[in-house]
Amino acid sequence: MNSLLKRFREPIFVLALLTMPFLVFFVRAKKGRDSANFVDRAVLTLIQPAERFITWAAFGTVDAWKGYVALQHVRDENLELRRERLSSFSMQQQAAELRLENDRLKRLLDYTDKELPVRMVPARVIAVGSSPHSHSLRIARGADDGVAKGQAVVSPDGVVGVIAQVTSSYADVQLIVSPLSAIPAVSQRTRGRSTVRGVGDITRCKLEYALRTEDLQEGDLLVTPGGSAFPPGTPVGKVTNVAKKPTGMFLDAQVVPAVDFSRLDEVLVVVHAPPPAPAIPQDVAAGPGTHGSGP
Amino acid sequence: MTLRIVLVIGTCLCLAIAGSVVPFLLHLHAARPDFLLVAVLYLAVHDDVMEGAALSGVAGYLADLTSATPPFLYTFLAVLTFVVLRTVGSGLKTDSGLQAALVAFGTAVGHSLVASAVLGFFTGTGVQLQTGTMLWSAFGTALCAPFVFAILRRLDALFVHVDGPAAGGIR
Repeated sequence: MNSLLKRFREPIFVLALLTMPFLVFFVRAKKGRDSANFVDRAVLTLIQPAERFITWAAFGTVDAWKGYVALQHVRDENLELRRERLSSFSMQQQAAELRLENDRLKRLLDYTDKELPVRMVPARVIAVGSSPHSHSLRIARGADDGVAKGQAVVSPDGVVGVIAQVTSSYADVQLIVSPLSAIPAVSQRTRGRSTVRGVGDITRCKLEYALRTEDLQEGDLLVTPGGSAFPPGTPVGKVTNVAKKPTGMFLDAQVVPAVDFSRLDEVLVVVHAPPPAPAIPQDVAAGPGTHGSGP
Repeated sequence: MTLRIVLVIGTCLCLAIAGSVVPFLLHLHAARPDFLLVAVLYLAVHDDVMEGAALSGVAGYLADLTSATPPFLYTFLAVLTFVVLRTVGSGLKTDSGLQAALVAFGTAVGHSLVASAVLGFFTGTGVQLQTGTMLWSAFGTALCAPFVFAILRRLDALFVHVDGPAAGGIR
């Protein structure tokens, strides 16, 4: 037995190395990643600060040149405008969507607003996924900033993706162009619902479950519907290559994402504000012995 | 664990960081090089089977950690790539930079095909083959291959003595 093991030591070792990761991948393939374990966190602690430092140094050098040597005033003004644009993005999107929504809802008497208030955390992009097949970004915000797995990530141009993995100070964002991504969308013009699925191409996605009877046209803007992780009315992309088949329930179309993912420097993480705490009755809030008589 | 193993892991760590940062800083979205795949190729051509397979697994694990994909996909693919390359290894010539680039191009195309198939099949998303992206990425990988090979060769040169390769070194 020992001689056999010794003889086939190499094939057994390699087979084990192949089998173990495959089994874990097979089990977890459809569920996605759990939170990072101890080993993951230890390795990421080495990688993430290094990525952040290199990005900071590179951008710092470029910014220094642009800011102090070339166009100091223009750059300052541009930075200020970008900050303003980021801060007003949420309000603009909500206002635009609310205008359209309001027109429809005026016709309804039993309208109730079920949307939670949203809070957006701006985050700096520090890296992309190291594998060319991965479609992810790494941002310099993590659990310490209230970022959690599954939260939506947007930019002033539109939907970016969702948080896939979080450590204390950093998070990985899975882009909507990833084959693992599928988000709900609604046509801004027709209000027809569909799903935008990534195909692994950074320049386009696939439109799924759009009814063939839908009057979807080239150039129609798709936005996020209410009730998802994304703020309602956030642009997803524009419809292109619409092909209505003579049979079947759904039409074929592609979507050009609203965001240029190769030029993303800053994003916003949508952190839903917690619902207001229930009002505490005054006699409880005041503490024992305030009201009534004690024993 | 020998010093060489530690240094190779350290190099893979640096390559993972480079693979994440360089495409971001240069705004590359198509011709993105896969530095870690080149490291796996180097290990397959130059290393001992057990040590090379284990180090390939480490390289894949690093790619996993920086890719937001289901866990251990790239670990599995890296070891699989190592095994396949090792099997056909005797026919691979990577002595010159051009040879290394050509082999890296072929390896990257094969790796992309298998990655797309495995990811699509096991996640239920269907196989999404992007030929353009795949070829551009393979081109980027081929371009960086001579540099990664040069780094790893230099590292290995530290462990080669006048009277032959050191234990745990090049075989």
